[in-house]
Amino acid sequence: MVELKNVSFRYGAEEVEDKYENSLCEINLTVSKGEFLLLTGPSGCGKTTILRLINGLIPQFYHGDVTGAVLVDGVNISGRELYENALLVGTVFQNPRTQFYNVDTTCELAFGCENQGVSETEIYSRIDSTVAHFQMKDLMERNIFHLSDGEKQKIACASVDVAGTEIILLDEPSANLDHKSTLMLRELIKKWKDAGKTIIAAEHRIAYLWDLIDRAVILREGRIIRELKGEEKDTVTIDRLKKMGLRTTIMEDPSQIKFPMIKDGDQIISIRDFRFSYRGAERAVIDIPELSIAEGEITAIVGKNGAGKTSLLNCICGLEKRCKGTLVYKGKFYSRRDRKKLVFMVMQDTGNQLFTESVLDEVLISLPKGTSDEKGRAMQILKDLDLDGFTDRHPQSLSGGQKQRLAIACAIASGREILLLDEPTSGLDYAHMEETAQLMKNLRKKGTTILVVTHDSELIHNCCGRILSV
Amino acid sequence: MKYSSESAQEKRRGFLDPRTKIALTVCMAVFVLGGLGGTVMEPVKNALSVLPFLLLLIEKQWNRFLRGFMMLAIGYGLLFLMPHLQGTLQFVALMCGGILTRFVVTVVMGEYLVGTTSVSEFISAMERLHMPQEITIPMSVMFRLFPTIGAEWKSIRRAMGMRGISLGGVRAGQLLEYQMVPMMTSSVRIGEELSASALTRGLGAPVKRTNICRIGFRIQDILLLFVCIVTVVLWIMSLCGVALWNN
Repeated sequence: MVELKNVSFRYGAEEVEDKYENSLCEINLTVSKGEFLLLTGPSGCGKTTILRLINGLIPQFYHGDVTGAVLVDGVNISGRELYENALLVGTVFQNPRTQFYNVDTTCELAFGCENQGVSETEIYSRIDSTVAHFQMKDLMERNIFHLSDGEKQKIACASVDVAGTEIILLDEPSANLDHKSTLMLRELIKKWKDAGKTIIAAEHRIAYLWDLIDRAVILREGRIIRELKGEEKDTVTIDRLKKMGLRTTIMEDPSQIKFPMIKDGDQIISIRDFRFSYRGAERAVIDIPELSIAEGEITAIVGKNGAGKTSLLNCICGLEKRCKGTLVYKGKFYSRRDRKKLVFMVMQDTGNQLFTESVLDEVLISLPKGTSDEKGRAMQILKDLDLDGFTDRHPQSLSGGQKQRLAIACAIASGREILLLDEPTSGLDYAHMEETAQLMKNLRKKGTTILVVTHDSELIHNCCGRILSV
Repeated sequence: MKYSSESAQEKRRGFLDPRTKIALTVCMAVFVLGGLGGTVMEPVKNALSVLPFLLLLIEKQWNRFLRGFMMLAIGYGLLFLMPHLQGTLQFVALMCGGILTRFVVTVVMGEYLVGTTSVSEFISAMERLHMPQEITIPMSVMFRLFPTIGAEWKSIRRAMGMRGISLGGVRAGQLLEYQMVPMMTSSVRIGEELSASALTRGLGAPVKRTNICRIGFRIQDILLLFVCIVTVVLWIMSLCGVALWNN
């Protein structure tokens, strides 16, 4: 069904972000009809690049030098237009927020067919059968902007299903999903497998589909380093996977992890009268009369998509003007305004919180006024976080993991004692996840209190000592 | 019960075709707001002014109806009071009353157009008007992009507040620059991801696109379009010097 023959690829000069990474080297890969293949490996190993070669985005949309041949259904795709390829290959992307063309769900499902000029009655009957198959009647005729990330990803899968392509590509579809939505995604993929579709998934979080796949291809730096199938796949140990830079194959619901919220002897940070609801919404997202958090510990905040975890962080940070409430830290009361100087948040889109033109400058503006030897101090912080080689780089040109470290560097520079992190490990491979965990543990040793919103059970086991379920 | 997308779409169908709404809005803007045709056309304009309110009632847009109605009532109230007032007050009443009575109707019509037309209906209407894809595609992308970029903007402003960069904070002078940098990068990224996804779903194929949106002219559309045409015809007649009514 899909065949890559001796394919090498380098991104062109204009794709700055991908310039040094994600290139491929002499890839040979054959996927037969009805097979479910998993591509996995550390960040930058080239798994997304392979998907882009199959759906034709490379070289039509992302430019670069391709050698070798990519055959889809026996035809070399290099001579084919993207819209011709769309009849054969459907793709579900990583980011639920940026793969929609329409504003309402019904039209979104019809979109692929409309582009091909399929008749209206045919489109209606295809939508109806998908809706019945995926049991998603309640999601129809809705505004996509009002759906949770999990629901959005379901719509994305459904629109691929309506288009009815034989080959389905999944590019880290679970990166932003909670445990329950991930299980839902698993069910949808299972339905495709049962229907005999050819599925190729690129993923870090391999646990939810490990038992469904026929074969796992492990990549590193653009080369295939291993293939696992059959008994070898079923009996592989987690330690061996770790050595290859892979995540666990055990699926665990983070809200079932039995850690205490506070232990006897913990110093308490207390949150009082936190109430918050979205403008125009009747139901409060946050309604907390009193809540205790362990000072100087790492607390994981878990809960499903849309439960208000990010809103809680925003409120603690003092970013929600309509959420009054106070926080008591070391015997002092902090109002919303005061909290802005006490709490630092590393956001999910780290790129949105880096503003200056160089890495060094970014840290300099975070130092409190009147710091002596500003530059020396900033350099020291960057050195501690392994960023001293990048002082002159533009923050926006860094990789995702580096941006995150830079944001943490700014947090350290600001001297704030409470650090909040929003999904720091979504889409990170094992090594990077461990790096983030280590960083958090180091900060904890220095006395920082850390709250981390996460769906990542591995991260929780790795570094958190307390759990708060929302 | 089994779900049927066809009947669901039919149920959602608006009272009017978007093209009729656009024609009416243009008509309102030109004659009622723009004042084309002068005083001779006054009775026609008054008749036109009733339409948007009627339409809002038909589509059960109570809030919009009440808001528009109140603004108009205030306008006429001011004009009514005006002769009894003195000096500056009289002038203010005249100005406000004049502006309100003139603008409100067209604004209400615009609200009706925006409030009752979904993006897909609008695009579908554009396609039926034989607008080329080069115009309809960027337009639909714009509708899609605005809310996304709005959310991005909000998140950046928040991040700045959290970092302590604000008017009166560190480096207030570079505030604007600091806002633009992440804004540009993330807009480019969002745009790129949106296009990649749309392209893999066959956007831009050289076939005639279908559209599952239910639009099309029905009796109410024909009636209202007729009203628009009559208005224009009357205006041309008055231009040619035909006496419209016997005063």
